[in-house]
Amino acid sequence: MSMKGQLTARKLVIKVTVGLAVLLAAMSVCSFIGSEKVSLQAVLDGFGRQAAVNPDYEIFVRVRLPRIFLAAIVGAALASSGVVCQALLRNPLADPYILGVSSGAGLGAVIAVISGLNWTFIGRSPISVFAFVGALGTVWLVWFLGRLTGKFHIIGLLLAGVVVNTFFSALIMFLTLVAKSQQVYATIFWLMGNMVEENFLVLWCGAGCVVGGILVLFYIAPQLNALSFGEEDARSMGVNIGRTQLIAFGVAAFITAIAVSLSGLVGFVGLVVPHGTRLVFGPDHRKLLPLSAIVGATFLVVADTFARIVVAPAQLPVGVVTAIIGGPIFLILLIKYSRKVSWLK
Amino acid sequence: MSWCLGGKNGDSKMSGIIEVEGLSFGYTPQSTVLKDVSFEVMPGTFLAIAGPNGAGKSTLLNLLCGMLSPRLGSIKIDGTAVESYRTEALAKKVAVVRQEFIPVFGFPVIDTVMMARTPYYSPLGFESRLDREIVAEALEATDTARFALRPLACLSAGERQRVFIARALAQNTPILLLDEPTNFLDLKHQVGIYDLLKTTQLKKGKTLVAVTHDINLAAQYCDAALLLGIDNGCQYGSAKDVFSIEQIEKVFGVKVFAGKIGQEKFFIPLGKFAKDGPQIAAKHYS
Amino acid sequence: MNKWFWLFLAIACWMGTGFVLFGSHQETDRSNTSLSGQAERIVSMAPNLTEILFALGLEDKMVGVTFHCDYPPAALRKPKVGTFWQPNIEAVIAAKPDLVITLGFEQQRSFTERLERIGFNCLAVNVETVSELFEAIDRIGTATGKQKEANRLVSDIQKKLNELTVLVGREDKVRVLWVVQREPLRVAGRETFINEIIELAGSENAIGQTIYKYPPIGAEQVIASGAQVIIEPSMTKEEVSSQQESAIQYWNKFENLPAVMNHRIYVINGDIVSRLGPRLCEGVETIAKCIHPELFRE
Repeated sequence: MSMKGQLTARKLVIKVTVGLAVLLAAMSVCSFIGSEKVSLQAVLDGFGRQAAVNPDYEIFVRVRLPRIFLAAIVGAALASSGVVCQALLRNPLADPYILGVSSGAGLGAVIAVISGLNWTFIGRSPISVFAFVGALGTVWLVWFLGRLTGKFHIIGLLLAGVVVNTFFSALIMFLTLVAKSQQVYATIFWLMGNMVEENFLVLWCGAGCVVGGILVLFYIAPQLNALSFGEEDARSMGVNIGRTQLIAFGVAAFITAIAVSLSGLVGFVGLVVPHGTRLVFGPDHRKLLPLSAIVGATFLVVADTFARIVVAPAQLPVGVVTAIIGGPIFLILLIKYSRKVSWLK
Repeated sequence: MSWCLGGKNGDSKMSGIIEVEGLSFGYTPQSTVLKDVSFEVMPGTFLAIAGPNGAGKSTLLNLLCGMLSPRLGSIKIDGTAVESYRTEALAKKVAVVRQEFIPVFGFPVIDTVMMARTPYYSPLGFESRLDREIVAEALEATDTARFALRPLACLSAGERQRVFIARALAQNTPILLLDEPTNFLDLKHQVGIYDLLKTTQLKKGKTLVAVTHDINLAAQYCDAALLLGIDNGCQYGSAKDVFSIEQIEKVFGVKVFAGKIGQEKFFIPLGKFAKDGPQIAAKHYS
Repeated sequence: MNKWFWLFLAIACWMGTGFVLFGSHQETDRSNTSLSGQAERIVSMAPNLTEILFALGLEDKMVGVTFHCDYPPAALRKPKVGTFWQPNIEAVIAAKPDLVITLGFEQQRSFTERLERIGFNCLAVNVETVSELFEAIDRIGTATGKQKEANRLVSDIQKKLNELTVLVGREDKVRVLWVVQREPLRVAGRETFINEIIELAGSENAIGQTIYKYPPIGAEQVIASGAQVIIEPSMTKEEVSSQQESAIQYWNKFENLPAVMNHRIYVINGDIVSRLGPRLCEGVETIAKCIHPELFRE
């Protein structure tokens, strides 16, 4: 009997390396695409000198590269988080925002604007910081409420998420209407998801957090596999359910909160990329996590590039592009690989 | 009545691999499902747990594998109390086969069985050659190797049940707990599963505990039996002794026709419309 | 020796390296013009700012305007750097400006911050009231070395405004309802610059104090307002006549409203009043003509 299909460390490393190569290629190509023409020669020239007025270099280094790195970080974070949410909730419709991250971030952002604070935190505006705190706090609240319905009760968790999301969304609408500040409208725009160039320190730390989080999730990937069979079976197979759920949710919420605080709410990536990757590579989380992260990063880099050029010089919010590109791609994958998908039976 | 016959083996120097003493449990403080249950299972025994619905069979199984905590009494696996085992350590002693479960995202058969080896993975989460060999063996033993790469959802119920048994086998534990392993299976598969279980018991010396509704097959294959009653009574002993017509009629509350063909005992419940029913019963009792 | 230990160590090292590499900011020293010097390449991020810059005679120095900058017509020929709501940072950089002038509201404020982080000289002005307009013209004049022209522009505008105010001051104030949007119905409240303009044109806002600047209102409030004139700004020049017809149809349902009874519903070109800029007087005059037509019949 052949063990051919089996996952080994070597096969995974090969797949991940190839994936990273594709991602880097995409990032390189996309950094030369945009509403302004940037020539490779001018960029290379600019790397040597200081203070020369070289707009190509400026655009490349100060605008394009940060944006592309940001898109990669956010895409990887959302995709991995989506994988974990779907695994823990055993629900194909789960995405990273399902447990309150979206409304929590929105509420945080609106409160930040209304309170009129103006300081920065390593170059992050108060909106981002409050959005981050709001996102994490809301997940904690949903987790707490969900636990009231029973220790590992998945449906309870989902319902708590829905209730909190609805309530907070209503709060956001209310605050938006009664707030005197005009800035509140800008918050709504920010929340729609956009890639703005950040300074390199923020990108570096963000990348560290996200990649670190993905590695933590990779460590518990075998436990996530076992959890697909239900808590009881997983426990019989030696998985510490409480610890696994706590780590998985905690890390997923954390990296989603980072993604949201960096770029607002970019939809669709966390829902579609896990499904697409799973359809092609199978449901084993040891493969699914790193590969989804890579696919998510590539996808968002490409989507952001589209967002930048399709209606240039204006820009579409990235969330629009992810939905428009993501939908048909997902459909094609689904039709092609539908044999592998059990929940379609 | 709360007594348990035939609990402990008085003269054995070997202690049981499963020791249950004075076990009581209820899901709510007011109700009691199990009362003062005591028995000891020797290594290498095939124990059947039978009884009417609601007697607490599945509950007992869940208590044995540590999913539930007893209200009173103790359960020891291999000399140590169940509560004091860490989850991973317990998984190396006890494997459980429950009602089948199809996960939302389709894993193929071989991955499903391989998951049993999770406690034995390398730190980075990969299986070793030994793990692969054990899984291959388990697949061969359950005759599921031929659809190793097929997703679980594409199998019949019988084939799926065998896969879950293969998974439990791959876990390589001395104890195997099964919750109604032949539910929903046709005759051929019922016998097939029991054959497989018996072979495992004999070849590998595993201790098997199966909750079952099928008294006839239990009588055919099992060494020991635990009969649980709704009134919290329990009977423990060898299958021969426990499966007697008096016990069965009392515990299940139904008239039964007991017969023997060669060495095989069988029991058929008699309802109002059984042909020749009342006469046969009367004849038997006379 | 645990895998968790190694992971956290790796993360800690990564973060530490980041702070070492990027902890201290280096700004590219972009130009040696300070804000009160000569600017040779100017980018304007709003239509009214463009109008001001042209009025100050800076046409030759302008290297970038937004898509919405269509007055004076010469502005249409200048390179574009995005729209008013969505400025394109790449286009701004490509224009190599040494001074970028932006408005102070939120959308553009974050844009200004981004530009400053990259090292560009930015001047952000608030133009939400008439006095802020004068202040803005003054500051722009100082930043571009055109103080004289700025002072002249300001006094020109003030003179014409005064003339208009005197002209309409003799008449009674007319109650005006300024309708920004019909479905749902939204009007300009008393804390907007539009309110300032219509008051300059000799009228009173038919709506009283409201919480919002542009409150949505219901039919009740329309009737209670007793508006004598209704003015709707149109999106573009071309739509004025078609919007006029649909406006008359729409407002007919308020048959007891003085404005409707006296057929005083006007649709005007929105541009000249939505931009608070050098054409302020034109705007005020247009509105005054709607409100007090009798004063302008020569």
